Amino acid sequence: MTISKLLVANRGEIAARVLRTAKARGLATAVLRHVAEQEGPAHLIADEIVMIDGPTPVAAYLDIPQIVDAAKKIGADAVHPGYGFLSENAAFVAALEEAGVTFVGPTSETIDLMGDKIRARAFVEERGFPVAPSAIEDDDPATFVERARAVGYPLLIKPSAGGGGKGMRVVREDSTLETEIETARREGQRYFGDGRLFVECYIERPRHIEVQVMGDGQGNVVHFWERECSIQRRFQKIIEETPSPALTPEQRDEICETAAGIARAVKYRGAGTVEFIYAQDGAFYFLEMNTRLQVEHPVTELVTGFDLVAEQLRIAAGEGLSATQANIPQTGHSIELRICAEDATADFRPSIGDLLLLDEPSGPGVRVDSGILDGGKVTTDFDPMLSKLIVHGRDRVEAIARARQAVQNYVVLGVTTNTGYLDAILAHPDFASGDVSTGFLAEQSETLTAPGEDISDLLMAAAALSDERLVSDVMQIPEMHRKMGGWRN
Amino acid sequence: MQRIFQIDGEETECWLGHDGSRFVLNTPNGTVACQLDPTGLPGGYTLRAKGVVRELRLAVGPEATFVHMNGRTYEVGRVDPAERLAGSDGGTSDDRLVAPMPGVVVSVAVKPGDTVEEGQPLLVIESMKLETTLTAPRDGVVAEMPFAEGDSFGLKDILAQLAPEEE
Repeated sequence: MTISKLLVANRGEIAARVLRTAKARGLATAVLRHVAEQEGPAHLIADEIVMIDGPTPVAAYLDIPQIVDAAKKIGADAVHPGYGFLSENAAFVAALEEAGVTFVGPTSETIDLMGDKIRARAFVEERGFPVAPSAIEDDDPATFVERARAVGYPLLIKPSAGGGGKGMRVVREDSTLETEIETARREGQRYFGDGRLFVECYIERPRHIEVQVMGDGQGNVVHFWERECSIQRRFQKIIEETPSPALTPEQRDEICETAAGIARAVKYRGAGTVEFIYAQDGAFYFLEMNTRLQVEHPVTELVTGFDLVAEQLRIAAGEGLSATQANIPQTGHSIELRICAEDATADFRPSIGDLLLLDEPSGPGVRVDSGILDGGKVTTDFDPMLSKLIVHGRDRVEAIARARQAVQNYVVLGVTTNTGYLDAILAHPDFASGDVSTGFLAEQSETLTAPGEDISDLLMAAAALSDERLVSDVMQIPEMHRKMGGWRN
Repeated sequence: MQRIFQIDGEETECWLGHDGSRFVLNTPNGTVACQLDPTGLPGGYTLRAKGVVRELRLAVGPEATFVHMNGRTYEVGRVDPAERLAGSDGGTSDDRLVAPMPGVVVSVAVKPGDTVEEGQPLLVIESMKLETTLTAPRDGVVAEMPFAEGDSFGLKDILAQLAPEEE
């Protein structure tokens, strides 16, 4: 099956990123846009824009019949789902198949299996791959609380149908177990329409390490090495890098081979990521498999030199893998920073506002995958991630230096962002030494959000002199009075 | 001319004047002679103040001025003291919970007339897909809970109001 016209069923930076590669491969391209949505970079790249509507902008991007109709209407023969939204929705894949449109991703069966954390875990365990001790509600709902208790504290409650850290709760004391289970169930019900839960042993100071895999659907699978994603707030990653500073070459081979083995076991098709919890003693456990392109895929691209979206499109078109394992290098070091509209000093509260001035960094070893345009608006309609800053260096020290330089030069004015916070993380000695865990940001929150040097006099001078009304009022006061210190009206 | 600037939640009252050759900002810390010249970049300026020269990028929003300087971005809230005086409506800030973000009410735990203790959960809201429990800012009696379960609210809406404290 050849692909000649691709619809990207997504928005923001990932839509722009996918469209660029599709165009470079000579495909006709189209992208969705909600009727109330701000213009973004993707809309400037795509050959065609399909307007969608729904009760909320997010609902429109989740509307399977509307999006399948859109693909048919414009004559797209393939749909790339990006990440989030419908990217891991088996019903969407089935609906596209029925409409004769190619889904750029795995089969609906694989999505179904891996999307159900419990079945995925059982599948992986049965084939001899490592998983953490756990209790699954569905095995016997009546004894769930009891069995959760038996896993021991601390433990982690997760929605069976979850992802992205939503609805996850750490429980350290027996007294809060039952209320936390209720909260997690409510969140699971609301976010995923499924309140079933499972708990697993919470590994103290764990690292989150994941492996990029790619399969042709015939059982041929290669890996593109690991990514370290331990820098997380609220269970969501904000800095990712590769290689992981924690792994020895032997451990790296072992964890990457394990991931490839899991993907081979499902005859995986397309790009996927196998996530692991990595304990301080070097043990690692299967966490989940994400059956899509990840937000943090660019770090892999910068160290391997492969365009993962191009690989996805090749596989979807039946051209197979372009690489064998032996010619996938891991050269230098890459770091990604997620630029988010949020206030790190106020519990990462999302911020909104008009983008008054945007000037994004560039230069050798610097890549920006941006979802915003100067003059745009940040609303609460979508995720607070605005863009991704990705750097590459010869080694980790150079990559950190480049990342700091670039994030310090990332000018986003009009909405509060986390650029200063990201820089503070990069400047932290524990980050520099690589001694971090998924709890790092919470443990170091005071250090990371500490106010810097007091430059309030300079800031107030800048704010006063750029306040046109203030300046013109001052200049209208008769000169004699202007000169008198402390003149008050 | 007076302005109140707000940086990191802290308010500072300033007074801007001009001595015939340059601007002078009087702050509680002293007097700062200052000058701001455009550099040609969008929003680019050179600031001279307190004996230092800084290149910065700046954008003036409706309520705050955003300044990118020394590799960081700062937000300087601007308040016109005359407008503040006019807008004052009596109630004190610890009487009410103001919505930090637009969102939806997930559940309401108390009703008007209830006596609550500081830290007691009043309602659960969801903003940007995250659940947050809002708690009583002090001991008191609930005066109003304007929103019910399932209601949407906007930024800065009042989500809970306590009766004023008796003197």
